[in-house]
Amino acid sequence: MASLIHCPHCGVRPKEEFSIRGDASLVRPDPEASDEAWNDYVHIRSNPRGRYREHWQHAAGCRRWLVVERDTFTHEVFSVADAASAAREAGR
Amino acid sequence: MTAYRLASGGLIDRRAPLDFRFDGRNLTGFAGDTLASALLANDQLLVGRSFKYHRPRGIVTAGASEPNALVTIGKGAGSDPNTKATVAELYFGLDARSQNRFPSLKYDFGALNGLLSPFLGAGFYYKTFMWPAAFWEKVYEPIIRKAAGLGRAVLERDPQAYEKCWAHCDLLVIGAGPTGLMAALVAGRAGVRVILADEDFRLGGSLLAETAHIGGVSAPDFAEMALAELRSLPNVTMMPRTTVFGWYDDNVFGAVERVQKHVAAPQEKLPVERLWRIVAKRAILAAGAEERPLVFGGNDRPGVMMAGAMRTYANRFGVAAGKSVAIFTNGSAGYRTAAVLAARGIEVTAIIDSRTDVSDVAPDGVRVIQSACVIDTKGHKRVSGAVVERCGFEQTIACDAIGMSGGWNPAIHLACQRGAKAVWSEELKTFLAPDVGNGFVVAGAAAGRYTLAGCLKDGAEKAAAIAADLGFSAAVQAQPAVDGEADPSFTALWYSPGAKAKAFVDFQNDVHVKDIGLALREGFGHVEHAKRYTTNGMATDQGKLSGINATGLLAAMQGISPADVGTTTFRPFYTPVAFGALAGTARDEQAAPVRKSPLYGWAQRHGAVFVDSGLWFRPAYFAQSGEKDWRESTDREVLNIRENVGLCDVSTLGKIEIFGPDAAEFLNRLYCNPFLKLPVGKARYGLMLREDGMVYDDGTTSRLSPGHFVMTTTTALAGGVMSHMEYCAQVLWPELKARFCSSTDQWAQMAIAGPKARLVVQALVEDDISGAAFPFLAAGIVTLKGGIKARLFRISFSGELAYELAVPAGLGEAVADAIMEEGRAHGICPYGLEALNVLRIEKGHVTHAEFDGRVTPDDAGFGRMVSAQKPDFIGKRLSTRYGLTAADRMQMVGLKPVEPDQHIRAGAHLLREGAKPSTLNDQGYVSSACFSPTLGHGIALAFLKSGRERYGERIVVWDKLAGTEVVAEVSSPVFVDPGNTKLNA
Amino acid sequence: MTRTYISRHPLEDLLPLEPGIRAVDHLDIPRAMAIAAVMAMDGEEAAVAAGLAASGDVQVRFTGPGEWLILSQSETPEELHRNLSLLLAETAYIVDQSDGRIVFRLSGPNVRRILAKGIASDLHPAVFEIGTSSNVLCGHISVNLARTGENEFELIVMRSFAVALFNDLRVMGREFDLSADFSAQG
Repeated sequence: MASLIHCPHCGVRPKEEFSIRGDASLVRPDPEASDEAWNDYVHIRSNPRGRYREHWQHAAGCRRWLVVERDTFTHEVFSVADAASAAREAGR
Repeated sequence: MTAYRLASGGLIDRRAPLDFRFDGRNLTGFAGDTLASALLANDQLLVGRSFKYHRPRGIVTAGASEPNALVTIGKGAGSDPNTKATVAELYFGLDARSQNRFPSLKYDFGALNGLLSPFLGAGFYYKTFMWPAAFWEKVYEPIIRKAAGLGRAVLERDPQAYEKCWAHCDLLVIGAGPTGLMAALVAGRAGVRVILADEDFRLGGSLLAETAHIGGVSAPDFAEMALAELRSLPNVTMMPRTTVFGWYDDNVFGAVERVQKHVAAPQEKLPVERLWRIVAKRAILAAGAEERPLVFGGNDRPGVMMAGAMRTYANRFGVAAGKSVAIFTNGSAGYRTAAVLAARGIEVTAIIDSRTDVSDVAPDGVRVIQSACVIDTKGHKRVSGAVVERCGFEQTIACDAIGMSGGWNPAIHLACQRGAKAVWSEELKTFLAPDVGNGFVVAGAAAGRYTLAGCLKDGAEKAAAIAADLGFSAAVQAQPAVDGEADPSFTALWYSPGAKAKAFVDFQNDVHVKDIGLALREGFGHVEHAKRYTTNGMATDQGKLSGINATGLLAAMQGISPADVGTTTFRPFYTPVAFGALAGTARDEQAAPVRKSPLYGWAQRHGAVFVDSGLWFRPAYFAQSGEKDWRESTDREVLNIRENVGLCDVSTLGKIEIFGPDAAEFLNRLYCNPFLKLPVGKARYGLMLREDGMVYDDGTTSRLSPGHFVMTTTTALAGGVMSHMEYCAQVLWPELKARFCSSTDQWAQMAIAGPKARLVVQALVEDDISGAAFPFLAAGIVTLKGGIKARLFRISFSGELAYELAVPAGLGEAVADAIMEEGRAHGICPYGLEALNVLRIEKGHVTHAEFDGRVTPDDAGFGRMVSAQKPDFIGKRLSTRYGLTAADRMQMVGLKPVEPDQHIRAGAHLLREGAKPSTLNDQGYVSSACFSPTLGHGIALAFLKSGRERYGERIVVWDKLAGTEVVAEVSSPVFVDPGNTKLNA
Repeated sequence: MTRTYISRHPLEDLLPLEPGIRAVDHLDIPRAMAIAAVMAMDGEEAAVAAGLAASGDVQVRFTGPGEWLILSQSETPEELHRNLSLLLAETAYIVDQSDGRIVFRLSGPNVRRILAKGIASDLHPAVFEIGTSSNVLCGHISVNLARTGENEFELIVMRSFAVALFNDLRVMGREFDLSADFSAQG
């Protein structure tokens, strides 16, 4: 029926304004990286029960990509951060 | 006559009689009645037939937990099946029909099922209808479906309007009884934004049927005073007729408001129901408690009713449920009802109390039989007596109604809907809500505080605590004194032993005690298994009355505590909600928004036939008078473009403006082909890959200035590409200085294609667009005669000499009109998607019919475009993996049938000549096919194993769906102008 | 041959040519408005925001971090583009959206009850203050919503969705007899 996401730029919004891409912990490998690294990045996904960091886009709002940390079982959202800031902090 | 309207009393307006109909009979009630109270007042106790055995059933409750009194209200498409008569507000002209009976309520053939009942126990269907499997659909299911079931779903389109709405508050109070009113008052006075929602049309909850006095005034008057004060507070919103049905993530509550279910002539501008999503910082569940039924033999006979419901009918509606009433109780509440009925002049024949040595006082002259149980009931369509057993001796007590009171079940449903399990209270002998944090607290009777004083106090204190938590200062004033408080205590009685007839647990699904026992014996004793094996609690009432009793029985039968059995899972919805309300206004034309091109009106004026294309409406073809079908129009359009010139609306293509010093580098990483050195004033075809090496989207990108590009995407993926680019820019390469925004809606874009295109465009444009000045793939800003700045691109999808002209969207129609005017001398025609498709297939150009997610650039013939020099781009690494470079990959080819009058259809598969038609022999598939008016025969684009080496070979096009095999010759996919002389003209 | 091209508004066929009778809740639609998207260059977000705040004659709508829609009633699209370019030289990219966006002004005592039928955000006067703007979903359509007065809101929508949003607003406002016409001032 509803759930709410706190966009760091726009405030509290219903989930309908967002689209979900998936695992935010994946780091795009170097072009020269091994086949395994690329296979993992493109194809292999875990499906954890519990805490999970995902990329969500506030598609109907500010259009920013966000890192949403939430519990896949309880649906509790722990934090929402701008993905570009997160990427810069991670040194990407 | 047994049930009747009392001479006085009740919160009904006796000066406002309301005529209504039930099963064709004309009856009269009063304003303030529910359908159920009005039926009772007319002695219409029998209201339905049971689900499985078709037993006669009467009204049991006075509220939302009603299992029996389900009726269909209204006629035709707008009728509502399975409406609870106990909550349906009476209005003038209400037309209700009973359900699940044939041919009539009184004489029902299905009741024969009752005779077969020994064979219809729990799990009967599973055991009986297991074999032969083929019988299920054809024989068993239709018979069961005919016999079972409640109301009939309406198959016509629902003509009623619905809508959805959001609401926000600091505190949502669910239930406007003593607890809820007090909570709302305390919070409201403190300035908290409060929403007070209650399912009833009259707020006050149990106060409306209460005889106690509060602070010296009657309970209904106390409710009225509280409501008057709440109405005066601007920060309090009251929502009567609103059922809060669900508790969702982040404290969002779902509720349905019956806006116009109670009016004879609904206003057109209002919906009949409104679905609310209430975002609440905090919420209090003050939904009260349900009286628990007693499980005894013959307890489903019409006339057996909850004792509290009898009290409500007497006090609130001025209706007597019978002339002589027996009360069967395991607690003090039964005595309370007896006192109310006696005070109203209704004869109470006996109180049968399962307890021993109790001190409760019965009304004067009423006989009390302690340590006794009802074990059967007499009568057929109406109770005529109760068979009472005490110490092995039986006696029959004559009565025309039996009130049963088995204790209390707090209405904790909402608090358990997000996974937390209900908690057994040994002290209260019931399940209480779990602690779900301070966002949602349970108060009053719903929290097991059953006394009136306890409810008022709990509501006030919990609201004050919440207000303080939210930063408001709330004063809890001294609670008004309650005079005439009732004692809620009881001794649990899960089953009345010695039953001489079926003792029902779930009235609506016809589950009786033996079914529960059978489930246990056959290994389905887990509460969730027992529910499914017996269907207990699976009917529309979702076990509101039966759930706790089933748990109690499962525990008693095993000699364990109900705590060890637990409850079944509570899920939304608390009560059924119409699909219409869930859909709101999003139906028919409003199911999805329609996007309209700025040239929509222009296309309409030229006779366009439109087709859905995502959210867009795009012209499929432009029918001229005399043309019989789409093919005729399309063929004409195609030939005219090959010969003269045509105009097509391409405004729906995605357009993205890209700026910044790193814009070129950004594009270079996004596309598989190079973009760094694209000169200003040039367009380039670009292919975007997915990271797995498959083609994602294509389009042209033009450089308007060193730091400004404009990209086009396909219509279908305009949104997806934008999102992909934002991901790349923000997440993958935040270091690149590039910014972009969509300008799709800013421009009306028109393709002018055909050998005479230049003549037409030059007539409108001031700039020189000769072949030398503006060659193929030129792009730039031009000025229209008259001073309008426009964008012009020399790109071609059709393979003809072609331009795309973009003008500000508002001018689109005017410019299209001007093009048509200038083009008239050159034979211009408008063309649609069908012609566009034929033109591009003839030219061997690809769309998403080819780029279906399994195709690499090389498969589609773009292998040489992919840059080997670029250090990185999206999809680079995985494009080089073995599977994507194998020699036998399917490659794009052209096909033409050997017999020119034969057709090829997209989706068909390719086989070697002589091979058995089987996917094992699959050589490829057809992606696009059409009739080529230019060539005069069918053509197709297909993907064929090692296709580029097989030009000239004959292949079988096998269409299993159509059952055809067509021999075709493999060729280059470019059927028209392979030398590009027309394109470069 | 010189031509004059007349611009069309997407709601032209749906609204009366002359202003009609206004209900207390009213939808006012400007026929033409200069609108530009402004995107701050990397690191210039604060400077651009300050520059925009200082220029009094335009309305500034927040669309995302470092991105705004700028509205002007008095300037032509070309003038707005030129003036913004001067104001924000070397700090922002500017894209004309005058034809790509359609503006709806909704006002009246029931405006919040109307908007609540499509917009999930809390529009309580103390929460969504005058001057606040943001992109939100209205039903199925993304709009930029701004509070422009005590009981006045402005919705900016992509042109291709204008008819769909107009139809939605009509249905949302039906309960309050919402009236609609083009702005008198053009």
